[in-house]
Amino acid sequence: MRGEPASVPSAPPAVATVTGWSVHLVGPVPEAVGDLEPVAGCTADDAREILGRKGLLYKEAATRLALCAVHRALDRPPRAPRPDGPPDPRTAVVASSNLGNTATVRSVMATVAATSGRDVSPLAAPNASSNVVASSVALWFRFGGPNLMLCSGAVSGLDAVAAAIRLLRTDRADRVVVVGVEPGDEVARAVHHSTPAAAAGFPLREGAACLILERGGSPAAGTPVVEPLATAPVTTAEGAPPVAVFGPCPPDWPLPPRVVGPKELEGDGYGAAGVVYTALAASLLAGGGTASAAVTCGDDVDGWRFARVRVAGEAHV
Amino acid sequence: MTALLAGSAVVTCLGTGAETFDALLDGRSGLGPLRRTDAERLSVSRGYHIADDDSCFRAGAWLTQCVRQALDEAEITPQTHRIAAVIGTGLRELRTLERWEEPPADFPTHLLHFGSAARAAEPALTEVVTVSNACSAGGHALAMAQDMLDLGEADAVVVGATDEMSGSMLTMIGRVAEEPTEAVRPFDADRGGVLLGEGAAAVVLVAEGATERPLARVLATGVSCDAHHETAPSTEGLGRAVTDALRRGDRTGRDVDLVVAHGTGTALNDPAEARVLLENVVGDGPGPLVTALKGAIGHTSGASALHNLDVAIRALRHGRVPPVVGLRHPLPEGEGLRFAVDSTPTAPMRLAQIDAFGFGGVNTVTLLEAV
Repeated sequence: MRGEPASVPSAPPAVATVTGWSVHLVGPVPEAVGDLEPVAGCTADDAREILGRKGLLYKEAATRLALCAVHRALDRPPRAPRPDGPPDPRTAVVASSNLGNTATVRSVMATVAATSGRDVSPLAAPNASSNVVASSVALWFRFGGPNLMLCSGAVSGLDAVAAAIRLLRTDRADRVVVVGVEPGDEVARAVHHSTPAAAAGFPLREGAACLILERGGSPAAGTPVVEPLATAPVTTAEGAPPVAVFGPCPPDWPLPPRVVGPKELEGDGYGAAGVVYTALAASLLAGGGTASAAVTCGDDVDGWRFARVRVAGEAHV
Repeated sequence: MTALLAGSAVVTCLGTGAETFDALLDGRSGLGPLRRTDAERLSVSRGYHIADDDSCFRAGAWLTQCVRQALDEAEITPQTHRIAAVIGTGLRELRTLERWEEPPADFPTHLLHFGSAARAAEPALTEVVTVSNACSAGGHALAMAQDMLDLGEADAVVVGATDEMSGSMLTMIGRVAEEPTEAVRPFDADRGGVLLGEGAAAVVLVAEGATERPLARVLATGVSCDAHHETAPSTEGLGRAVTDALRRGDRTGRDVDLVVAHGTGTALNDPAEARVLLENVVGDGPGPLVTALKGAIGHTSGASALHNLDVAIRALRHGRVPPVVGLRHPLPEGEGLRFAVDSTPTAPMRLAQIDAFGFGGVNTVTLLEAV
């Protein structure tokens, strides 16, 4: 194998089948997505209604919401017991969040300033590390494959989708659980305040979403597949404008009939956005709404990422 | 597929990569008093600091410096290469966020991650991914970068890593230590826990044949997650990262000549890592030399994997292995391991293993071969 040129002719194509998904938005459901699968999610405080009572102590809101989204995407019944047995080394986790533990680090330092570090619970220790969402999902559901926490800013959600597809293509995993989440606490909202999205009038949208991705192969007709793209899918392969855009619609695009962006979601998903939009697109396509949708996330500071979600078995658009 | 390292740049409490390696060979340590006014309330009194000013966003500044230096050494430019960047970090710029006045509404959100710091070194990067994978973030970034090259997504990938010690992580270290740790003693029977270091590193990874002056060849990085415990390591999970690296790199444990270990000096990591090395790497022969850096430069969190990598590059090139600073009496679980105790020249070495294990059970093992 040594000394060969850098290409993998046998690598599977850069697409993945979306075999499960969920959207778990906290708060009122925006009218613009009312026709899609249930997107309303419980609050972090009520996570026990989905996850059961045990194991949630000292879990941050972002971790709880992410666990809820994964639980739902896996179609597990409410309060189903946590899986036990050995970890599954072929299932990977890629999480995306920028603000998950910002409240924790600020509150830990407020306690130190007021009294001392001795008054901080050691049970909160995992939360000092920004990868707590990804590792908690692995621990909860026993996923022993590669475990990545991406915090790339506004592009992070589609970075996570791209990273997940890479893990499938390089045979590091057979299944990847992608989860995006942002909390809605006061610190997170304040830190989000300087983003271009907030400046445009879109405050932080609390919530999570999950995608279960498996290798492209030949999925059953009607199954959504996701494909990261290096550049904006301004048109479909046939040259037509996209019928639906999930995410901020770049200004040079012809306005498609259906747009679900921060305006329609009444807020900015930030690190969760790319995952939320991909899951919403999968939901629309699976319901027969259209055969292809463009997904975007990003901003003028962090850059932009693009993907296409299409239905397997339809013309390649 | 294997890849080549075309450039490597480092900053630690002991200086640049060359300065750090020289200090390590001399057995020197960068340990000093913790430079914080609240050290007593954190129950942490010592640390391995970089002696610069106490400004904000230091992690980003170190990263910019390392990315620029690594690209210069590699002589890779965006005119001829599509250059992507993957940046590993444990603690992002949380130290600066901790210091920001209440409420942090004017905190520059985009500086919490490292897109801007990487682009300050090279504006034409095609993308910058920040991977926040605790103490093995640099190893995960390396694995992602090699996959990106394999799949033809980039012609060169800058793999960066950076961390400044955060108050909240110091708090947790102080909170779980029975008494304040005086120094990091990797693999010592009397080890007293971990202390933080800080710094950054960057390497440039390119495909085979894409550089005329490679520093070393990366065979593979194995990746696993324990899914076992939030903070305690699992030998089963660590072992999976080792076997994944060996399988991907098409080598056996017997081929490994040098291990640059994770070696945090904690009660749990070092015996677990020793057992995994004995089970997976040490054969019938004398086994590889084992060294560890954290007694000299502290635990540099997300940057530690790339700090280990730079030392491995230099050890393979110069045929010298730095001793484990802080190690006096090896732990009983390490019996059978050959720890580096001085820096005398070694027999020729070809293959190095670099360990990085993080909070949450996220593990990487990289195999590096001499060129």
